[in-house]
Amino acid sequence: MSRTARSSGLSICPRCHKLNPAVSGRHRCSRCHAYFYQRKPRSIEYTIAWTIAALVMFIPANMLPIMVVTTLGETEASTILEGIAKFITLGMYPVAVIVFIASFIVPLAKILGLVILVMGVRGGEGLKSKQRTRLYFLVEFLGPWSMLDVFVVTLMAAVVKLGFLTSIEAGTGITYFTLMVIFTMFAAESFDPRLLWDNKYRIPNRNE
Amino acid sequence: MSIFTESSGQVLACPRCDTLAYAPRVKEGQKVLCHCCGSKIMAFKKNSIERTLALTVAGLIVALPAIFMPIIGVGFVGFYHQASLFDSILELFDRGYLLIALAVFLFTAAIPLIKLSGAFYLTWSIKRKRPKPALMKFFRSYHHLDSWAMLHVFVLGVVVSMYKLVDIADLSIGYGFTAFVFLQLCSTLVTVTLDHHYIWHYLERHVDE
Ligand SMILES: [Zn+2]
Ligand SMILES: [Zn+2]
Repeated sequence: MSRTARSSGLSICPRCHKLNPAVSGRHRCSRCHAYFYQRKPRSIEYTIAWTIAALVMFIPANMLPIMVVTTLGETEASTILEGIAKFITLGMYPVAVIVFIASFIVPLAKILGLVILVMGVRGGEGLKSKQRTRLYFLVEFLGPWSMLDVFVVTLMAAVVKLGFLTSIEAGTGITYFTLMVIFTMFAAESFDPRLLWDNKYRIPNRNE
Repeated sequence: MSIFTESSGQVLACPRCDTLAYAPRVKEGQKVLCHCCGSKIMAFKKNSIERTLALTVAGLIVALPAIFMPIIGVGFVGFYHQASLFDSILELFDRGYLLIALAVFLFTAAIPLIKLSGAFYLTWSIKRKRPKPALMKFFRSYHHLDSWAMLHVFVLGVVVSMYKLVDIADLSIGYGFTAFVFLQLCSTLVTVTLDHHYIWHYLERHVDE
């Protein structure tokens, strides 16, 4: 069983990664002078709260129109899924798949991943902790990609101004969508991956 | 650059799983992986200061055209209109989407620019051997910037927009897009070349607060 910083009465500074002697309570890093705790305080509670907030935002983000297109005086509002359906009817399958993954699969996968991580803190063996740590990397990495559709609408609304022929506006769904992305990123930042390893048997692996 | 040979025997901890490890002797270009969870504990990067300095200069040069020059333009029977990233943010602002305008501004312009100019100031001061206490304070919050810079997502957003527009109008790609792709490239490479471990060691030895 490998020794950990915590079992040796040490604690790693989250800002500069210096090891400081620290047990419980708030500490000040001797190198960068940042304040920190041995484990993020109330990490699980914050992660759950932000995840629920993100899940709540997911509903209006998908129900409300994200883009409003006006062609020759006729307005047509479309949600994210309707926008994807349009790509499919036009035969643009690769773009349809990219947008579907970025704006629908990724947010749900992030929320599901965070739920698995929070549950993983309670049970499981050393090997599973390793897979869960990888899952945390993945949730962090996926974070910003769901902003894709927000950027698309932003740019389209600014560029498509062709007199009375066609114009594009952002829809109200875009606000909820952005909030959802920001909330999942806060949830991932609140989570402390070291909790996945605490009180668990560690299997050192030598093949790296 | 003998920092790491001197410090072998020094104890490191994995930020992901908290396992302790003795720092092995590392040469330039090598990295240390955690033997428990496999995360990267530290990497000794090649010519980190010089490379980062060059990339930040390049990035800052293309930043203004990337933000203010038109990214794409559309034309249709006599009408023509083009827009830059800045125009897009203003458009959101005009329509009353203040929060979204602020978010897009932060993720695609402000944060990447603060990140680049910060990395420039940091590497320039170290290159000139004039570290200041303010550098410590700045570098402490630097790592937060990385996860909120979304230039790469914006580039993909431009590509998706092109697919949406190609159907309804004549599409032209502006210089702003080229500049933006370069900006994104520089920003990503700065993340790769900046050696946090080296800079913290350096600041610890040369800055008295
Ligand atoms: Zn520190
Ligand atoms: Zn580890």
